[in-house]
Amino acid sequence: MLQKIKQQLKRLQGLGADYADVRWVPIEESSYLLMWNGNLKESVLDRESGLGVRVLYKGAWGFSAASDLRDLPAIFDKALDNARAASQRVTFPVRLADKEAIQAKFESPCQINPFQVPLAEKVAFMNEMDERLDQPGVFQRIADLNFIRKQIIFVDSEGSEIEKLITEVFAGLQVLGRDEEGETHERKFSLGRDGASTRGWESIDQQVFAENADRIVKEMNQVLVADQCPKDDRTVILLPGMMWLQTHETIGHPLELDRILGYELAYAGGSFVTLDDFGSLRYGSEKLTARADAKLPNTPGSFGYDDDGVPCQNTVLIDKGILVGAITGRQMVEEANAKAGRKIFASSGGCNRASSFYRVPIERMTNIDIDPGQDGTLEDIVRDTEKGIVLDGERSWSIGSNREQFHFATEIGWLVEDGEMKQVVKNPTYKGDTVKFWNSLSAVGDESTVKVAWVPNCGKGQPNQVMQLGHAAPVCRFDNVRIGE
Amino acid sequence: MKDRILGTLDQLREYARGKGHEVALHYREEDSYLMRFANSAISLNTNEHLIRLGITAYSGRKRASYTLITALDSIDAMKQGVDTAADMVEHSQPLTYQPTVPLLSESFVDEEGYDGSLAQLSNEDRLKYFGKAASDLETEDLGLSGIFSCGSNINAVTNTKSDHSLYFRTSDAQATVVLSHRKLKWEVIAEQSAQKLSDLDPDRLRQELAFLVERYETDTALQLPLGNYDIVLGPAATAELISFMNWIGFNGGLMKRGYSFISEEQVRQKVLSDQFTLVDDPDRLESFPLKRDFTGIVRGLFPLFTEGVFQGFTWSQDDADEFSVTPTGHTVNHKSLVLDGGESQISTLEELANMPREKDILYIPFLHYMNIVNPTKGTITASSRFGALLLKQDGSTAIPYNVRLTQSLLDIFGDKVAWLSQETVPYNTSDSYGERNPTAVIIPRFIRVNDLEISHSNASY
Repeated sequence: MLQKIKQQLKRLQGLGADYADVRWVPIEESSYLLMWNGNLKESVLDRESGLGVRVLYKGAWGFSAASDLRDLPAIFDKALDNARAASQRVTFPVRLADKEAIQAKFESPCQINPFQVPLAEKVAFMNEMDERLDQPGVFQRIADLNFIRKQIIFVDSEGSEIEKLITEVFAGLQVLGRDEEGETHERKFSLGRDGASTRGWESIDQQVFAENADRIVKEMNQVLVADQCPKDDRTVILLPGMMWLQTHETIGHPLELDRILGYELAYAGGSFVTLDDFGSLRYGSEKLTARADAKLPNTPGSFGYDDDGVPCQNTVLIDKGILVGAITGRQMVEEANAKAGRKIFASSGGCNRASSFYRVPIERMTNIDIDPGQDGTLEDIVRDTEKGIVLDGERSWSIGSNREQFHFATEIGWLVEDGEMKQVVKNPTYKGDTVKFWNSLSAVGDESTVKVAWVPNCGKGQPNQVMQLGHAAPVCRFDNVRIGE
Repeated sequence: MKDRILGTLDQLREYARGKGHEVALHYREEDSYLMRFANSAISLNTNEHLIRLGITAYSGRKRASYTLITALDSIDAMKQGVDTAADMVEHSQPLTYQPTVPLLSESFVDEEGYDGSLAQLSNEDRLKYFGKAASDLETEDLGLSGIFSCGSNINAVTNTKSDHSLYFRTSDAQATVVLSHRKLKWEVIAEQSAQKLSDLDPDRLRQELAFLVERYETDTALQLPLGNYDIVLGPAATAELISFMNWIGFNGGLMKRGYSFISEEQVRQKVLSDQFTLVDDPDRLESFPLKRDFTGIVRGLFPLFTEGVFQGFTWSQDDADEFSVTPTGHTVNHKSLVLDGGESQISTLEELANMPREKDILYIPFLHYMNIVNPTKGTITASSRFGALLLKQDGSTAIPYNVRLTQSLLDIFGDKVAWLSQETVPYNTSDSYGERNPTAVIIPRFIRVNDLEISHSNASY
């Protein structure tokens, strides 16, 4: 098959294609198990395979994909036809930043292939967790396991040939309860990079799950009898269980270069960031350093090589509060540099990814991380806070179309008074303007407070693509934030 | 093609029966085209043709599913898939209830919603549509974005308990045209949903865009003071709100699991405005309807709210099995929601802008990034986007920067509803996560809701 693909790539070049690449996925497996109140509601295995062809012709992209590969030339021809049609309307001809032609292999760290673990063993684990969650106050118990294993073979007309084998494991627990007014409250635990150093079945650590099962039940029961979150302005301390989402929505998405350049305006939205802002915009306080680190070991945001065939990198996005970088791929850095009239980006940041063989690569987050600071532990930060609230667990998130403002609801909040965490409150929310909020960052926890979240479901693009990625974030404190609305 | 698909399902059914497996088969085929515009150019022109076979195996109270991407003549791979699902179910765990394998009492073929001329529009046709919709509106400062998505999809189901099959074929198109100011960052939108070729009307889009562009280029932009406003919602905003109501309102299974703002005690009670009548109407072709659900139940008009009175929850087969209720024909991948029009004759933006008013009115055409703050209270939050207008008391208009609404659906569609347009329009709510599944909600062109709070107001575009 590989030889046939290469022949077709050559044929397209002979027909006038400036560039072409192929993502051939011989096999992608995904498995989803959902246990709800002891019922194995979903036991689903999904297998797919196919090939997607991306062709650049006279400055325009065409793409075609199919699962039936018997008529390979037809798929390639269709992609070229689509590019020819698109080339009728070009305003800024696509150019691709230089890269080396690479022949390489990448395999994500995995000791035990989850697809070789018997279903009975997985179900037994879920039963154990379900029993653990079945405690007073719990109205709904949910446990889920989600595994992905895919082989991707990337070949392009520039001589790159890269094979990747990616294994992903996602798992979580959730409980719901009802307060005396019948209102539903929830608390959940999602597996991140705690403990295990690889991403196979071995990362399902029963002890970790058991401890967190007890914790979320206890905390949800505290919420059920808590007072409502007050409505006022105060200091907000975000635990990593909320910091990952704050980072994702208000640093990650606004710094996707395709958004900045207006490629998502018809759907996901734009960004308040402009090309003029790089190197000068004070995005946050001096305590804020953020990076797109696709070299962070053992997370879904580290994948070896992107779907342009560019190696993964560790790129600083915000350096001591100043905007310096973005989430980039080959096409967008060329366009951004040209439109800015200066070289903002030296090369592709290696962030172009496609969710499946039938989708085109677009700029996606890798691991968008916040560097740990020097403000100590959570206890240290709380001790230094007069009037505040500690928030954890995403419940709702809504962001302005240019990522300029946001409104988040969390699962739990602990009021802070005179340096101590006090009572739990329910229905906590907070909101803010992105730049003002990050500039109010007044404390960043040390390395001991950092947790790495694995995110299975970031959505973007048309046609939509769901991507896996990660976030490493410490405890952070923000001053003068509106809560309770 | 239909006979070949149904013939393949027959073969697989007989294969499963021969091996003693109890399975349900769901064949899904899509042929999808998407032309995407950004920065006044075609940023992507793509197509995919995919066939998936979903196989759910049953064994007593146990259930397991296997899905594969396949080709129609890959019968051996599909048979292997049947065996895989049958093997999976043996290692599964019994449910606490008996899942139903439906008996399809008759075969049913529905191709009424298929228009080949729409499904197979050419690249040139799509390009021409965009050219007309944005004709003479693009400038150096005003960039064109948008999508033209079209295609067809087939759903076909059968199972080993039945000798019959169901077959549905639909065509659809969704056009979104956005004009955005490169420097100021304001953006206006016009959209269209089509079930057949004649539904496409790029001139109407152009008319809406031209009106909005003129307003945005000439009127004063301002930051709205926080507070309460009388708000007119456009079709996109209303459709999104109704879609969320479908999620956390009248879905019986989710209500049982604590994700609804409506309780069982509220059936036959007045919950919303007496101007609010919502039905699931599979006779409305523009909603891409399914006239049978995937268990074979005949889907007819299903009232959800009648003059504000809640009529009852919808139940899929699985939820009905679990909670011991009767399924309502809602084992479907989308409903056909229709919100009745009211008495207002206002049906265009121009008419809205020119209507007499006793106070300022905020027009919000589109709600961006809606999410659920509190499902039990029906509280949602979202920001305005794409062409909001402040219709000032003195008859003039101004351009408000985007604002945030954090409100309960009970308030938005409760007694604060002032009026609804008589004219209804289909709004395409399809998303392209995963498989093609055309969906549209039919709603009044405009709805006026008085006294809603704006909780955040941007200081610029």
